[in-house]
Amino acid sequence: MAGTWVRIGIGVLAGIAVAAIGLLALGTVAASTDPVTGGNTQVANGIMLVLAIAILVAVVVYAVVEYAQTGRIRSITSQFDTRTIVLIPIAIAINIILGQTVSAALKVPVYLDSIGTILVGALAGPIPGALTGLLSNTIWTFILGGTPLGSPYAWPFAIVAAEIGLLAGIFGRLGFFRSRPNTPTPKLLAGAAVALVILAALGYWGVLPAFTKGVTFFGDLTTVNSFFVVVAWLIAIGLVGAGIGLVALLLVRRDLGVAFIVVCGAICGVVSALISAPISAYFFGGVTGSGTDFLVAAFQQAGSTLSSAVLQQGLISDPIDKTITYIVVFTLLQVLSRRFTARFPQGEQAVGLIGSD
Amino acid sequence: MSEADAAYLASLAPAAPSAYHRLNPLTKAVAAIVCSLGAFVLGGYVGPLVILLGGIIPSAISARLLGRLLRISILLSLPIAISIVLVSVFTRAGTTVLFAIGPFDATLEGVDFAGQVLVRLLVLSTAVGLFGLTTDPRALVFDLERRGMSPKLGFAAVATVEAVPSLIERAGVIQAAQRARGLDTEGRLIARFRGIMPIVGPVLLSSLTEVEERSLALEVRAFGRPGRRNLLWWPGDTSAERVVRWVLVVGFLGLVAARAAGLLPRIP
Amino acid sequence: MLELRGVSYRYAGYAMAVVHDIDLALGDGEIVGLVGPNEAGKSTICLLACGLAPASIGGGLTGSLVIDGQSMTGRPVHELAGRVVLGFQNPATQRSGVAATVFEEVALGPMNLGLSVAATLARTRAALERLRIEHLAERDPARLSGGQGQLVAIASLLAMNPRHIVLDEPTAQLDPEGTRLVGEALRALAATGTALLVAEHKTDVLDGLCGRVAVVVDGRIVLDGPASRVFGDERLEGWGVEPPSRIRLSRALAGTGVDVTAALAR
Repeated sequence: MAGTWVRIGIGVLAGIAVAAIGLLALGTVAASTDPVTGGNTQVANGIMLVLAIAILVAVVVYAVVEYAQTGRIRSITSQFDTRTIVLIPIAIAINIILGQTVSAALKVPVYLDSIGTILVGALAGPIPGALTGLLSNTIWTFILGGTPLGSPYAWPFAIVAAEIGLLAGIFGRLGFFRSRPNTPTPKLLAGAAVALVILAALGYWGVLPAFTKGVTFFGDLTTVNSFFVVVAWLIAIGLVGAGIGLVALLLVRRDLGVAFIVVCGAICGVVSALISAPISAYFFGGVTGSGTDFLVAAFQQAGSTLSSAVLQQGLISDPIDKTITYIVVFTLLQVLSRRFTARFPQGEQAVGLIGSD
Repeated sequence: MSEADAAYLASLAPAAPSAYHRLNPLTKAVAAIVCSLGAFVLGGYVGPLVILLGGIIPSAISARLLGRLLRISILLSLPIAISIVLVSVFTRAGTTVLFAIGPFDATLEGVDFAGQVLVRLLVLSTAVGLFGLTTDPRALVFDLERRGMSPKLGFAAVATVEAVPSLIERAGVIQAAQRARGLDTEGRLIARFRGIMPIVGPVLLSSLTEVEERSLALEVRAFGRPGRRNLLWWPGDTSAERVVRWVLVVGFLGLVAARAAGLLPRIP
Repeated sequence: MLELRGVSYRYAGYAMAVVHDIDLALGDGEIVGLVGPNEAGKSTICLLACGLAPASIGGGLTGSLVIDGQSMTGRPVHELAGRVVLGFQNPATQRSGVAATVFEEVALGPMNLGLSVAATLARTRAALERLRIEHLAERDPARLSGGQGQLVAIASLLAMNPRHIVLDEPTAQLDPEGTRLVGEALRALAATGTALLVAEHKTDVLDGLCGRVAVVVDGRIVLDGPASRVFGDERLEGWGVEPPSRIRLSRALAGTGVDVTAALAR
């Protein structure tokens, strides 16, 4: 067990080191960007690259350390038992069908195309989760490319999907998907406070910079079309409402697990927005053919450059989308029988032991 | 093994109605990837159009499915194309205003940008569409397995192809049942959204609970045994195709290098 | 010879055992029926007999599974495949979902074993012939009737060349036509010398097929003996098991004074 923590620690340190070096290097690039809009094209691209590389390095370092310690990489191969291999196609089918119906048919500004990926990550582990995401988008484009269910545009986002699965796997390993029913009220309130603080911090350092650097929402409102000021206020009210909703949900369900899930969803949403924005801007002019495009149009009209508008759109819709997805997966894991979930490689860590509640 | 046996095994391979169908799946995959990424690296109008008219369209004609390919790519591209036109034309900042609708100015820069993105998208959707229409997923997976990919990964990929329609079928059955109980799945957005949930839940649960029995049934058939297996058939490959693949890959890397060196015109 | 010796088993994460002190033997070429009410533990015994419990699904086992005198404890499932295999109720979930033809579906198991192409071919053909479904070889396995699908599933098991086959309610999800098809196939199979353990709700399927029948109630084997004696046992209905229609008919007729026992005896 100690060995496991050593390699996790070394892996995380390596990832943080790479990210820090990368971000420091980026600092000089950012200073030289487009002065007209304070554009964060370079920054967003850079963050994406640094994050992707840092995560990759962390995983590789982890595997290398394990190989050095035990002569095998059992912690990775053992995540792929037959059950996981059978679950992956079902998970991908769920991703594709929900992704197709929700984003293309309903035109609401969420995607809901990662329920399967997060489910596999939670139950089987980070590597199967990442693989499910990767395969999901690749199959969606290439193997279903000649059918009405295909999506030629999913493939460039495969790396985002992989990151979503990887994160879900880590959250699952840490037990964040566990239901914690009948939490006493003081603990519940403390949990809610901590969750709100984390969410606020995430919003302040992760989301807000993308908006204040540009011309839009939380900056100088006098020069902006009043229609978008209204939109901004609606979003702000929505965010506060979501916070209140979280507290209410916690008090009604009396399940501290909800707080964990919401925080996980928000983190996952911010990270995927950062990684997917430059891809979306570069490949598809910032649109995806779903309801989120309205937001991109709004931000662009309000004066952001395309890259900024896409990032701003992502930072609004992705946390919402991923939080909903995490709540759906959390609910699914509670509804599925323990006898079923506990048999997956990481099932016991993810949903807790039977009879512990 | 007798000749009759060999012929029988060959007959299990999917039918290939044209020479393009008969190409090795990896060749077609490399072509699709290089064409679509190439269009993005080149940017502008000329490069992507050359790829489309000089590479993809002739291949589709030789595979005798140009009409089908265009229909499916346009069908799949339509939602995103409409978004691109609306978002780029009307909300992209620019100096040359063509006309205005309310607060939205249509700028020349916006039209130009939308045009460039649309051309690239057309290349991407036709390239992957041609691959999908001419390649049996099993042929691709067996080819990759022969080249060293894990059979388990191949299983997951091929099983998805059947899982998608069977999940839709299941959703249809459950939807019919819910509708029989008086659930509204048509009509306005909110009604539709509310109508989806009682279908999504049972579909997810019923397909997930099948995972257990499915995996036990596979384990009984030695699915968990590590190591390689001998395939009954696999798609052919020729040295000429191998050369073509390398030429495509090297050509693409050349484009990337030219882009990095600043030799290609800037992409907006 | 497959034996469960003094087996008790609890599922992973559960404190209570679901089957207790099971002693069950399946001799070479023997056909044994397993009957009992729902939730009595028939399926669990099937999982235990082919080693999936606990090798694949975990849980706590006392006692042992012994095949041909060797204990199978701790062996991975794929090593057991040549000795004993298990068939399930639903033909759809047993289908791999990766084969375009029935032939490839049946060949999947031998391929997984790493056999040569020639050996795979031979085993697949033999399996299809033994169930007399060669005519289905080129069909799409996803487009078969329930009964045909179940025959393909059993052929897929036969292709593993197992000495023992365990079937968990092979006709439970089939229509009468499918039940008849599978029943006939089991009789044909019985004649070829493979040992069969068949858990069934429909005792008519077992009647005339099994030499021996064991009754499971509340996780224990309460009766184990020759089929004629078990099916004729007066306590059967009290345990929640419906006797075969042959027995019920003769009893009903006996109530009216007509003795047809001799005529209906097999």
